[in-house]
Amino acid sequence: MSGSVAQLAEASEPYLAVESVQKVYNAGTSHELEAVSDVSFGVPSGQFLSILGPSGCGKSTLLMMAGGLEQPTRGAVRIAGAPVTGPRRSTGIMFQDPTLLPWKTVLENVLFPIRIQRLPLKDYHQRAHELLAMVGLGDFANKKPHQLSGGMKQRAAICRALITDPDLLLMDEPFSALDALTRDELNDALLDIWQRTRKTGIFITHSIREAVFLSDRVIVMDRRPSRIVDDIPIPFPRPRSMAIQDSKEFVDICAHLRGKIAHA
Amino acid sequence: MRDNTIAGLAAIGVLILWEALTYAFQIPELMLPAPSVIAGEFAGESGRLILANTWPTAVQTVSGFAAAALLGIVVATAMVYSDIVRETLYPYLVAFQVIPKIALAPLFVLWLGIGFWSRFAFATFMSFFPIVIALAAGLKDARPEAVRMCAAFGGTKAQIFSQIRFPYAVGYLFAGLKIGATMSIIGVVIGEFITADRGLGYLILWATSRSDTPLVMAAIVVLCALGLGIYGLVVLAERMVNRVYAGG
Repeated sequence: MSGSVAQLAEASEPYLAVESVQKVYNAGTSHELEAVSDVSFGVPSGQFLSILGPSGCGKSTLLMMAGGLEQPTRGAVRIAGAPVTGPRRSTGIMFQDPTLLPWKTVLENVLFPIRIQRLPLKDYHQRAHELLAMVGLGDFANKKPHQLSGGMKQRAAICRALITDPDLLLMDEPFSALDALTRDELNDALLDIWQRTRKTGIFITHSIREAVFLSDRVIVMDRRPSRIVDDIPIPFPRPRSMAIQDSKEFVDICAHLRGKIAHA
Repeated sequence: MRDNTIAGLAAIGVLILWEALTYAFQIPELMLPAPSVIAGEFAGESGRLILANTWPTAVQTVSGFAAAALLGIVVATAMVYSDIVRETLYPYLVAFQVIPKIALAPLFVLWLGIGFWSRFAFATFMSFFPIVIALAAGLKDARPEAVRMCAAFGGTKAQIFSQIRFPYAVGYLFAGLKIGATMSIIGVVIGEFITADRGLGYLILWATSRSDTPLVMAAIVVLCALGLGIYGLVVLAERMVNRVYAGG
């Protein structure tokens, strides 16, 4: 399986490249912590990659470095050839917590990146409404976040991440705080959005099923030292439906990944 | 609304009971004048006396409070953004919270004289601490996830302050301002107790020395009204600020 990945990586110049990245917190002190040690991989344009691993394996740190919120201690993260030195406008990001601002309406929250980037707000109203309609929040544009359920808040956060029409979408365990049913719904919604927009995506999760269901490719990371222990393509064609989760192939891939994590 | 109605009815009930008891037990006016007698003070000569003494107290309270609010916002902001400022000031702000600041009132008179400035400065001093401590706590307490979110979308330091930290701290700020408003009025009255030739604090002392309890009570009623009025203005300002942020 790793052979096919190598071919895939060679086939197209990676859009996002993680090059020998190491991240050490509190270097040189007694609290020194190596969050990521020498990790390299590339993500071709349009690929949806999930990074799977136990908590503390440095997967979120990797994502924060891709988002420009953290700097690697060694190595570099490059997007379209340019090293990431800070947050970039054409990266959309989602966190575990929806972090909607409670004093703003859903619509204003979705438009928040536009406000921050000082783009003309009214040019994006139409797009914001379309995105909200796409995730089933069409009637909630003028509601406040506290009037929304947890799943609805995270749907609004998806819209916020997509409002600038980014070329890269980073997702840090966005659905891990949701109940199983809501999580399935949001996985479905995300698949649907992915089908329509086809951005490059990196999705951090510790749910094997979620990773396999959503992704073109799954990387498994281990903790201490945090390194890549597996990197496999997920062959299911798109559009995908919930039904594939019951197929033998799906179950086999999940079992394989579970074995990797258990031995990691 | 219903709560207000009940509270209002309770107040009327207490006033009626108070009025009835002063008559039933023949309580001397010097000890506890009836509400009707106190109300009578607002008419005629004593009414004019009250009005003339309300003005200086109100001006000093509002100006002292405004100065404290401004200073508090500046210092709290500086404390969030500068480690040196925070590490230098914070222990002293906490220490000053603990000491009974009223004890320092005579010093202000010594330093700034018996006029407007000593009372203004003392009111500012009294009202500054709750404001700065509340706002500094609020600015520091802004959800780190929200700060990170704003940074991730390219927010500058100034934007993180105006779009995230400050709106999150608004509730804290106004909690501090409400305490600060009360502190300011206390500061002014204390100042007037020590040295003043006018103001409601002065009027209370003067009327007490003449055993004019109804006038003392009337002046206290005005002080309460003044306190409530300033409190109301703070609440109004809070609503306006919240509406600005609600409007995005």
